[in-house]
Amino acid sequence: MAKKGERGRCVTGVEGLDNILGGGIPTSSIVLVAGACGTGKTSLGLEFLVRGVMAGEPGLLITTVEGPDKLLSNVPRFILSGSDLDEAAIKKLVAALAKQIAAHRIKRLVIDTIDTVLTEIKDDALDALLLGELSEVLFKNECTALLVSSSEKCERIEGRVADGIVMMGNLERKGDLLRTMQVVKMKGTSHSRSKYVVDLTDAGVLVTPLLKGGL
Amino acid sequence: MSEGLHLTVATKLEELGPSTTVAFEIKIDSYFDVVRGIIDEFASKKGLACVYVTSSVPASTLTSALQSLEVNTSQLSFVDCISHTLMAAGQRSASTVLVESPTMLENIILKVEYFARINEGKRLLVVLDSVNSFALHNDIKMLTEFMTILTNSLKAKEAYTVLLALPEQMRPEVKEAMAMVSDVIIPLS
Repeated sequence: MAKKGERGRCVTGVEGLDNILGGGIPTSSIVLVAGACGTGKTSLGLEFLVRGVMAGEPGLLITTVEGPDKLLSNVPRFILSGSDLDEAAIKKLVAALAKQIAAHRIKRLVIDTIDTVLTEIKDDALDALLLGELSEVLFKNECTALLVSSSEKCERIEGRVADGIVMMGNLERKGDLLRTMQVVKMKGTSHSRSKYVVDLTDAGVLVTPLLKGGL
Repeated sequence: MSEGLHLTVATKLEELGPSTTVAFEIKIDSYFDVVRGIIDEFASKKGLACVYVTSSVPASTLTSALQSLEVNTSQLSFVDCISHTLMAAGQRSASTVLVESPTMLENIILKVEYFARINEGKRLLVVLDSVNSFALHNDIKMLTEFMTILTNSLKAKEAYTVLLALPEQMRPEVKEAMAMVSDVIIPLS
């Protein structure tokens, strides 16, 4: 249970990640899950939602790349594409999202990918507006969000605004390619910043420390 | 083949109990007797979920050999780290997962964890076959770290952990690493 003045935790259900974070993501955080293709970002997002539902926390998946039938059935979907998003469109979008979150008591939100949304916005100030408004909606509704991004660097606005950053990557070691995960930042909790190896299995995303061989 | 060795192996494991890492030092000609003791006489009879990590013989070959010895393999799962390396057609099944190479040590830990999850509620017995073979493919420091993490995580799960080793072919530093992670080393002749 959270102490007075301390934010509660959203237990992701990904056991290794919860251990790294000392119990889960601080509730209402925006966490950027970034990394190259095939590193397990979507799997992590989906497990976050599925484990939430299993724990009685409704989730919302906004998919901007793949159709929901390919990912999961029966998840609400927004289609974000087409014209440029201006300030009015952003406010309308966040209001619609806020309505869904409140109506369905959504506690976990995944946007896969946020890149598609942000490329529609041509201005950094508008990116910040979108993320700022989203942050307020999440805070009001005690909803925790994962924003999936294919960016391998977190220098863009979403990296700066996010409360947390989880970097997913590939590590080549003597010809072997390992999938890795590293929590670079997470406001509101102390956490490990080490690199971990992950495996995507039908029993969930599994995590173990990267071996260093005494180096 | 030593008479009754399989029974000795089962008795030793029974005496040691769970949350224990035991290293069996074996001779090559007693290999199947020891494996039979672990799987048939001990794991099967106790209803344990047995995870066999093989880095020397492909899972399909081992399964065939064990079945020809009439060993009950129904509760046996394999983490096969050698089929890919040998370019052998490793067979994926519900009870066999392939790891590309015995050098992908973290993935081996994760595959053992995978079988622990799908066998939730059952006590585990994990066999690492063999320390010699892993030492052939890996740097000793990496191997020591791997065995330390694996055995400690299995201890926390109250699992039985068995390391198989051929002492005659073992370098001193490998023997030292094995001794470090084992609660007991039992020479079997």
